[in-house]
Amino acid sequence: MPDPTRLEIFKNLFHSVAEEMGAALRRVAFSPNIKERRDYSCAVFDAAGQVLAMGDHMPVHLGSMPASVAAAIQALSLAPGDVALLNDPYAGGTHLPDLTMVMPVYLPRGRRPAFYVANRAHHADVGGSQAGSMGLAREIYQEGLRIPPVKIYQRGRLVRDVLAMILGNVRTPEERQGDLAAQIAACRIGERRLLEIVAKYGRREVFAYARHLLDYSARMMRSVLRTLPDGTYRAEDFLDDDGIAPQPLRIAVTVRIRGGRAVVDFTGSAPQCAGSVNAVRAITESAVFYVFRCLLDEQVPATAGLMRPIRVVAPDGSLVAARPPAAVAGGNVETSQRIVDVLLRALAQAVPARIPAASQGTMNNLTLGGSDPRRGGAPFAYYETLAGGMGARPGKDGISGIHTHMTNSLNSPIEVLEHAYPVRVRRYALRRGSGGAGTWCGGDGLVREIELLTETQVGLLCDRRRFGPYGLAGGQPGKPGRNLLIVGGRRRQLAGKCGFYAAAGTILRIETPGGGGWGRPGKKSAMAVPEQGRITRARSNG
Amino acid sequence: MRIAIDTGGTFTDCVFVRDGRLEILKVPSTPRQPAQAIAEVLRRLVAKLGGESCALTLGTTVGTNALLERRGGRIALVTTAGLEDVLEIGRQARPRLYDFFVERPAPLVPASRRFGLAERVGWDGRVLQRPTAAAIARVVGAVRHARAEAVAVCFLFSFAHPAHEAAMTRALRAAGFAVSASHEILPEFREYERTATTVVNAYLLPVMGRYLAEVERVAGGAVRVMQSSGGILSARRAAREPVRTILSGPAGGVLGAQYVAERAGFDDVISLDMGGTSTDVALVSRTLRTTNEATVAGLPVAVPMLDIHTVGAGGGSIARFDRGGALRVGPESAGADPGPICYGRGEQPTVTDAHLVLGRLAPQGFLGGEFRLDERRTRDYLERFLRRAPGALRSLEEFAQGVLDVANATMEKAIRVISLERGYDPRDYTLVAFGGAGGLHACELAAALAIPRILIPKFPGVLSALGILRADVVRDFSRTIRLPVASLAAAREALRRIFAVLERRGQADLAHEGFSAAELRFERLLEMRYIGQAYELAVPAGGDFVTAFHRAHQQRYGYAEPGRPVEIVTVRLRVAGRTAKPELPRSRPVGHSPKAALTGEQRIYHRGRMLSAAIYDRARLRAGHRFAGPALVTEYSATTFVPPGWQARVDGWENLRLTRR
Repeated sequence: MPDPTRLEIFKNLFHSVAEEMGAALRRVAFSPNIKERRDYSCAVFDAAGQVLAMGDHMPVHLGSMPASVAAAIQALSLAPGDVALLNDPYAGGTHLPDLTMVMPVYLPRGRRPAFYVANRAHHADVGGSQAGSMGLAREIYQEGLRIPPVKIYQRGRLVRDVLAMILGNVRTPEERQGDLAAQIAACRIGERRLLEIVAKYGRREVFAYARHLLDYSARMMRSVLRTLPDGTYRAEDFLDDDGIAPQPLRIAVTVRIRGGRAVVDFTGSAPQCAGSVNAVRAITESAVFYVFRCLLDEQVPATAGLMRPIRVVAPDGSLVAARPPAAVAGGNVETSQRIVDVLLRALAQAVPARIPAASQGTMNNLTLGGSDPRRGGAPFAYYETLAGGMGARPGKDGISGIHTHMTNSLNSPIEVLEHAYPVRVRRYALRRGSGGAGTWCGGDGLVREIELLTETQVGLLCDRRRFGPYGLAGGQPGKPGRNLLIVGGRRRQLAGKCGFYAAAGTILRIETPGGGGWGRPGKKSAMAVPEQGRITRARSNG
Repeated sequence: MRIAIDTGGTFTDCVFVRDGRLEILKVPSTPRQPAQAIAEVLRRLVAKLGGESCALTLGTTVGTNALLERRGGRIALVTTAGLEDVLEIGRQARPRLYDFFVERPAPLVPASRRFGLAERVGWDGRVLQRPTAAAIARVVGAVRHARAEAVAVCFLFSFAHPAHEAAMTRALRAAGFAVSASHEILPEFREYERTATTVVNAYLLPVMGRYLAEVERVAGGAVRVMQSSGGILSARRAAREPVRTILSGPAGGVLGAQYVAERAGFDDVISLDMGGTSTDVALVSRTLRTTNEATVAGLPVAVPMLDIHTVGAGGGSIARFDRGGALRVGPESAGADPGPICYGRGEQPTVTDAHLVLGRLAPQGFLGGEFRLDERRTRDYLERFLRRAPGALRSLEEFAQGVLDVANATMEKAIRVISLERGYDPRDYTLVAFGGAGGLHACELAAALAIPRILIPKFPGVLSALGILRADVVRDFSRTIRLPVASLAAAREALRRIFAVLERRGQADLAHEGFSAAELRFERLLEMRYIGQAYELAVPAGGDFVTAFHRAHQQRYGYAEPGRPVEIVTVRLRVAGRTAKPELPRSRPVGHSPKAALTGEQRIYHRGRMLSAAIYDRARLRAGHRFAGPALVTEYSATTFVPPGWQARVDGWENLRLTRR
């Protein structure tokens, strides 16, 4: 039995390494996507590549980073001073814009790595047919530059050939170079901190508590699973389509809970599809990891131990465990959200009082690219996700205009956006009435209207445009989202997933889904629906 | 005579210097009617001092409390049309990731009192849509109809072109409303943070306005108020910009720590203020370091504040075992009610109970003996608690040591955040520990971070008031300009013009505070970054600021790219008027032996051993006294623990200096 004090102290120590890496990455990074939106994650791994700590960054990276470390270890022999870089979803990545760095940490006179540190950042562009590298595609080759595990640093030296090769294939090379430097800086901070910790506590103690920490997380998870009634719970939900064919795509789950263990089986889900919403297995594991971690009623470290009592079954070649060369840009951001929805629907049968209704279930991915006339035609690439309505909770309304589940990225301030890109934001507001009614109401989605000031390549990757987020216990579903194009005052509805060039002066209006309601409407007294200011209302209709 | 009053805590502290001695008055605080305690202090002062005229400087938590308890004014918000909800959407992120039941603080202005004006300015300050007089009049009507007490106005890009905001503000003020305009409060980019800050200011206007008017009436003269940035300001001005006073009390503590360390010959200080529920840490060098990224009550407040980091570890922090068998301490606190077990009513083990079990508190020595600690009760409860706990901690003492180790780990992390994470090495600093429990943890924290020395100031209970007593009058100005630096000479010329405007405003403001231009000190900072980078570093505006920026980037992040173009994002000007500062006298050493202060001995448990520790009475320790650990130093409201291997010395200002042997 480990010493409870040391256990707590090491928990904090490893976590602070990941947090300090994150702070460095955020401060040094160049792109608004990292600093303003915080679309990154940092983590610490043991010598076997098991997660010891992860910063409180992006949930979708949580369960998928270990795959990166495993892939890097398998493909490369990492010497002191080496740093591996990768983004290949079929070799440790998730989707191409997420560039992951893995660095081995050698102790003095150590012959093998004692730890690994890794970080992942979403880059605003990694080439491909669509500016922002998040558009519709039919195979991964169209989605951008695919980087298997390679060394970007060797023995402490930058491998210039690899860097040049990457920068030659992306739309905004200077920004990429700055962000990659930030990722390296973050790795170095992590390495330094781990070495300090080992110097202070001694390697035996540090290794012992790394192991204890994994066991501890596993105990915590088992204790939560024991609070769920044993049984088999099934549910399904659908993605609207893959952006190419109109058919809905089924995701099905069977959750078996038995004596402090869980099997989460996605057999019955649709086969992988032609469009870009395929999820690789690591994403599916992330989504499962996320849901069960939320069931824990206290803060626990996100270590590999948490997943020990849980087994994930995902049929090879399905939507939730795609094989190459399937396109995957949306698997990370859209399919991951639906997997969460399906799981929650199943678990609501087991413990209804602890599960919220469906949240918006999409990240409303928007990419814009082109050349900026204000800067002599310099290329620009912009990526953003939009918040929506949170599902109602038993006993609480859902929150409006907020990111839920697998993402928590911030919005880009309008004053940053308009300075950096040739766009104008005309409206940024809550989409009133979009949350599902219920004893507790779903949160409202958002409306964002962006005027394009120059000819722009637009990419939209959004779901929940046909099937609204479900309600629970008799609550109404939230309103599905809508994408609209406004040209010369005329509105035209767009598909959820599409890509096109738009002329200067075009307005893009994105309405994001509301959350589902919980419980039958009308039971709670005094259900106040927020009213709008009168002047605001007069304008919003015009 | 200058006097300082700090109303933050259980007691309202008043300090002043008379005949070279620091005098202290303490009266119980009156949280419901904060001005009452001040009136009481002033009554006693008159009795003591007679008719001597007093200049009062005040540290206050009225603003903080109004924000925490949501007791501010009924206010309206006017924004650029189409962006009325920015305040509510915020940055669209949730405060906790893995919690289905997470809450986001409700906006201070509900949707029904948020109004849009049809106007628009572009990113470069160009006017895209001018507001019409009719539209402005309609908004004024709507605000009146909403029965708002005060109004916040924040338009997009108003830092680049404030005319629209100014027009709206004039119209509202003409209609009799108190208005906070974002270009006056915070002319910086990022609309949500600027809006939120402007709204907090408007929200506090009614409360602080009434309170400060009352204080001025009670004081019968001019009053100055401590700001979160570490400078003071006339009550009249503070009443218009109350958002600047939110961390008034903690800022006083940092200044106080800086003062006592500086007198003792140390410029670089980490201050540690450990109270009942939380601990504040800050890093100070000759100049005060401020941040614009503070969050108070879940809301961003982007005016400059001293960079104070707060963590939920204090004397009342509750210890428990979680389901996985780890020992957790805090952030839940037993507070003052029910308090720790040893106070007689609490039932959950706390950090204070752990100190008692280890022998680090003298049971009779709290608040001059008024407050006895119940050791029997503490041991009974802890034994019962441990019987239910996982088996690894066998003895009470081992458990107690564990509680302290975990609490120390939390505080150590906080110090790392303000030092190492910002590129400063704690080994170059002096730890100034105060608050009721600061001295109990100081040595172990210093050891963990290799901080070479500790200063336990004399009067640790009124350090905040002491800081307030010596603060300068300060006004902070800023403006986002986003200026690419093509050549140093051209940039300097542009900056000269921008700073000249801000300096004129500073001179005018400080003339109102009674300072002539010659008495002012200007501090000019530039927030710079590589073009395209998203985060800024502050460097002094003088000299070759581009080289200074590369150097700062190298220091903080380990690399610089001298070839890359840079830009100046925001300029900052701090205008300070030096005030007359009472100095504390230096005492003459009386010899090394502290025998006269020795009051007894106590058994303590330290790292697996029972030891005998000397107990010294702080009030009887004199300059020059030296002693070695293990020892306890008790005083009215605080205790210091000197572990074995540490050496204590009383310096010329009667601070306790602790170093490792």
